[in-house]
Amino acid sequence: MTGVPLSAYLVLALVLFCIGLYGALTKRNAVIVLISIELMLNAANINLVAFSKLGVTPSITGQVFSLFTITIAAAEAAVGLAILMSLYRNRKTVNVDEMDIMKH
Amino acid sequence: MNAYLLSLLVFSPLLGILMVALMPKNEERTIKQFGFFGTLPPLFLSFFLCSQHYSGVALSSFNIKLDWIRFGNLEMYDPKLFTVNFELGLDGLSLIFILLTTIISSLAAMASIYIKQGWKGYYLLFLILEIGMLGVFTAENLILFFIFFEMTLIPAFFLIGRWGFLEREKASYHFLIYNGIGSAILLVAILILFARTGTTNIAALTQMMTMGGVSLFAPISSSMKYGLCLAFVIAFAIKLPVFPFHSWMVRVHAEAPPAIVMIHAGVLLKIGAYGIIRFGMGIFPEQYKSLAFGIVLMGVISFLYGALLALVQTDFKLVLAYSSISHMGIVMMGLGALNEAGLQGAIFQVISHGLIAAMLFFLVGALTERSGTVMLPKLGGLAKSMPVFSGFMLACGLASLGLPGMSGFISEFMVFLGLFKSQPVLAAISVIGLVLTAVYILRAVMLMTFGKNDSLVEKEKLDLEGWEFIPALVLLGLILLIGVFPNLLGGPLQGTIEAMMLALGGR
Amino acid sequence: MMENAWLIPIFPLVAFLVLLLVGGRLRERGAYIGIIFTLASFMLSLLTLMERFSAPTYKKTLEWLTLGGTQLTAGFEINQLNALMLVIVSLVSLLVQIYSLGYMKGEGRFSTFYAYLGFFTFAMLGLVMAPNLVQLYFFWELVGVGSFLLIGFYFYKQEAKAAAKKAFIMTRIGDVGLLIGIILLFWETGSFEYGEIFQAVQSGVISDGSLTLIAILIFVGAVGKSGQFPLHTWLPDAMEGPTPVSALIHAATMVAAGVYLVATMFPLFLASEAAMQAVAITGGFTAIFAASIASVQKDVKRVLAYSTISQLGFMMLALGTAGYVAGVFHLMTHAFFKALLFLAAGSVIHAIHTQDIERMGGLWARLKWTGPLFLVGTLAISGFPLLSGFFSKDEILMAAWTNGNYFLFILAVITSFLTAFYMFRLFFMIFAGESRRQAKQVKESPAIMLLPMLVLGVLAVISGYIQTPWFGTFLGEWLVEGNETVLGAAHSEGPAWVMILAVSVALAGILLAYMKYARTKLPREGLVKENSTLYRVLENKYYMDEIYYFTIVQMIKGISLFLSYMERFIIGGLISTVTGSIEGMGKIGSKLQSGQVQQYGMIAFLGLAVLLVIFALTGGYLR
Repeated sequence: MTGVPLSAYLVLALVLFCIGLYGALTKRNAVIVLISIELMLNAANINLVAFSKLGVTPSITGQVFSLFTITIAAAEAAVGLAILMSLYRNRKTVNVDEMDIMKH
Repeated sequence: MNAYLLSLLVFSPLLGILMVALMPKNEERTIKQFGFFGTLPPLFLSFFLCSQHYSGVALSSFNIKLDWIRFGNLEMYDPKLFTVNFELGLDGLSLIFILLTTIISSLAAMASIYIKQGWKGYYLLFLILEIGMLGVFTAENLILFFIFFEMTLIPAFFLIGRWGFLEREKASYHFLIYNGIGSAILLVAILILFARTGTTNIAALTQMMTMGGVSLFAPISSSMKYGLCLAFVIAFAIKLPVFPFHSWMVRVHAEAPPAIVMIHAGVLLKIGAYGIIRFGMGIFPEQYKSLAFGIVLMGVISFLYGALLALVQTDFKLVLAYSSISHMGIVMMGLGALNEAGLQGAIFQVISHGLIAAMLFFLVGALTERSGTVMLPKLGGLAKSMPVFSGFMLACGLASLGLPGMSGFISEFMVFLGLFKSQPVLAAISVIGLVLTAVYILRAVMLMTFGKNDSLVEKEKLDLEGWEFIPALVLLGLILLIGVFPNLLGGPLQGTIEAMMLALGGR
Repeated sequence: MMENAWLIPIFPLVAFLVLLLVGGRLRERGAYIGIIFTLASFMLSLLTLMERFSAPTYKKTLEWLTLGGTQLTAGFEINQLNALMLVIVSLVSLLVQIYSLGYMKGEGRFSTFYAYLGFFTFAMLGLVMAPNLVQLYFFWELVGVGSFLLIGFYFYKQEAKAAAKKAFIMTRIGDVGLLIGIILLFWETGSFEYGEIFQAVQSGVISDGSLTLIAILIFVGAVGKSGQFPLHTWLPDAMEGPTPVSALIHAATMVAAGVYLVATMFPLFLASEAAMQAVAITGGFTAIFAASIASVQKDVKRVLAYSTISQLGFMMLALGTAGYVAGVFHLMTHAFFKALLFLAAGSVIHAIHTQDIERMGGLWARLKWTGPLFLVGTLAISGFPLLSGFFSKDEILMAAWTNGNYFLFILAVITSFLTAFYMFRLFFMIFAGESRRQAKQVKESPAIMLLPMLVLGVLAVISGYIQTPWFGTFLGEWLVEGNETVLGAAHSEGPAWVMILAVSVALAGILLAYMKYARTKLPREGLVKENSTLYRVLENKYYMDEIYYFTIVQMIKGISLFLSYMERFIIGGLISTVTGSIEGMGKIGSKLQSGQVQQYGMIAFLGLAVLLVIFALTGGYLR
């Protein structure tokens, strides 16, 4: 497994994060937005794991932290999808552009 | 015991808040009683403090200091750095202001009997307002001061906006916007000081600024000191208010319910003077000195401008509003005189105007209750139908124009005494205002009370009665007491004034 | 007694407070409270005066106000002048209060009237006892309020309301001058105490310029209070008050306070030649100015008011020509005979219910007591030989002559002539000639009104004899005792023809008035036609009121209106700018709240990016 440098993990995470960010900010379908957010979270996870293995002071904390993040991401996805479901029932749409009733 | 007395004093209106909060909202009589009783604990505690002072207990023994907030980990340099403590303290100046606050609050709570609806919310906000005012005058550091200062703003906003007269909403927005701007300036100045020095304690800051002490992070250049001093002066000048920042206050005077104007003109405006003395003059004496001419000029302009405008108003409340501006101009003149007479005169004027304005607005409230109007052209000949009321009105008007034997004279005399020493030319110009004051007050009071009575229908029991004598007599009594025995008020102030004078460089 | 003298002003104060609190219930009985307390004051004043003849000046002060290192004191002082003034004030006040029992009968607010009188008496007594300038100023303003309240006693009358306001404001203008004078004096000498001030003045620590300025400012205060030109216009209007009030305040006591002030501050004035000149010229001019107006007025009280102004001018003239004793002496005699004249005039008004002298006449036979008493007062004021006014006026003329101020001397002589003329014009128009009303309705006033007049009549005759060139100058010697170097001689010696001249012009004045108004030998319109310009100018008091109205009053009104427009448009504009811009910002802010989460996210991300770029470029804190 050795030989893969830290920068490779970081670049991967960066790419994932950028894709996620792009998706979250531009896609109109709320499901894809949620998926994009998951992508960003996972990009952060990769960073955490990579630093925990290859950082200046390697320790287990990063991996533990990423476990937390995964759990929270799961919970968030569940809540997000639930909100989405009920929104869909009410508004018959999953288009984020149309979800602006809380403005002002 | 002593250590907690001050916190007890400041938060004692909470008892009243609790009692009022537990009442059902349509129990008018009980709520009003509880609301009034809620103002009594601070009143008695302040009397107790005062008696302690006169029996020789040092006021600083009441100071309290508790750890509160800490920013950053800088213990290695100095454990006190970037901490904000909960610290309340007392000196002669704050004692006087606290007494003014508690007395006027109680009387205004009494005068709130005229409030017609929403009593529960009214008294809750009223008592929160009192906590804020008491806190402002006891806070020992700028952050705490600012918190309490804002705490007066919000209840006052709602009290004006909900229980006022016709254009109340507009008035309360103006109140909020102007005071908000003042607060913003104040906050910026406070934060700069905090960031640069790592402390907000007033005494520590005074020490640092006057002794030229080095602060840890960034030494404050002298031009920055000027800027900060100016920021403090302007922030509080808006509050005071002086020309040209005055128009919000005119609206508030005209639109707020009279009981709230008692508080507003009696105490809230005085925070401006208190702030200038404490922060502008106290923390930056050197810079303040060089601003003095501008301060006096602002004062003189306000004094004359207010007097001239009061001359042509037809609404008695507006006459009083412009008269307040005029009288606050006297305060500024005294503060800019830079000598003992001027400073003491300014403080006297603050207290004196607090009492007089409270009394005048109490009378306005009583009259509005009866006649429904205080428009001067509609009034007249009240001396016939309401002789006692007219007597109080005349006495109060005379006090306001600085009649000897009443508190207004002492303050005006001292302010002019001080001003003629330091700024004789401006002083000579401003004395015209003394004549104008007499003209506008007599005009207004005589239009109301003298002449023929063709406005008010002869009603039974039109004159003051029952409880209404209490506020009128108490306030008039205090006005006379200060006017005849000024040393009662001057005594506690001596220490503060001497310290200020020392910092300002002697005379 | 002198150590208890502080009680003298306290008695009327107590009367005031008692009447204020329970007066409503006492109604007419309230008057007796006022009278009894004033009587106590008078007795104590008399005892104090007696004691002062033998004892030295007594002074007692307490700490009043701490001002840094300076202690202002309050207390009282009994010197010669004060003791004399105490007796005059309390006596006249007492007599007026007794008189009012009759005059004010039937008035609903009887107790209020006596309460005000008590308050005024308190303030006036306090004024004359003041040991320092602050306290003097303190009571100086309070007497103004007393006067204001009493002028406006008939508050429902429009004229009374205007007169009260005018009186207060006009005197306030003078008071401001006095206040400045006091303050400047304090910064020059470091004290408000008379003694220390005079010491400083004599040791010459004050420059001549500021000394003159201060003296003139203090004199401005006196001008306001004593109705001297140009601040005199309030005094004739003040006649709207009840007549006893005019007698007490606007003839005998308060208006004399200005003279008292100059007399008290005499050493200060003496030190400045220019200030003395100002006092003398103002006094002399006012004397002849007011006398000329008095000669054509038709309201009995207004004639007396202008006569008061003129006589006060006389006193100022005396003081300005270094005639300290003459000024104070005339102050005293004037207090008696002018109070008498007012009370007698009140008695006439009481009898026939009009103040217009053209509607009077032939009352001599009807008013058997009032008539002779009025005559005594008239003779005294005209300087008829052997009455009090003769001696005091003579003293003034002597002072002006010996001072070498011949122009003012001539003015004074002409004024004496005019005084005799207009006073007898008044007398003859009221009492001589045909009765112009149903005589049956005219009834003499009750004894309670006549008694005080009688007392004053006696005093108007005899009070002159304490200072005469023939029987000794007791008053003068006593007044200047221990202070001869400053206050000047006890009596001004002058050529005998001065006295003869004074008597002859007085007699000439009386004769002219007799010819014109009693015997109608000369046509009434003989000298000055009723429709001539001069007559109209005089009748309209030289249009002083109009001049003030169209200049000062209108100017201030104009400025106020201008400012109120400025307030509305410029300041109002400023306000709308502030509120408008804040509202605008709010609107922009609310536009940003589009509800588009993705937009928010974009903006947040961009913001972060900008911050990171800045951080990367600067490498940390902003400097």
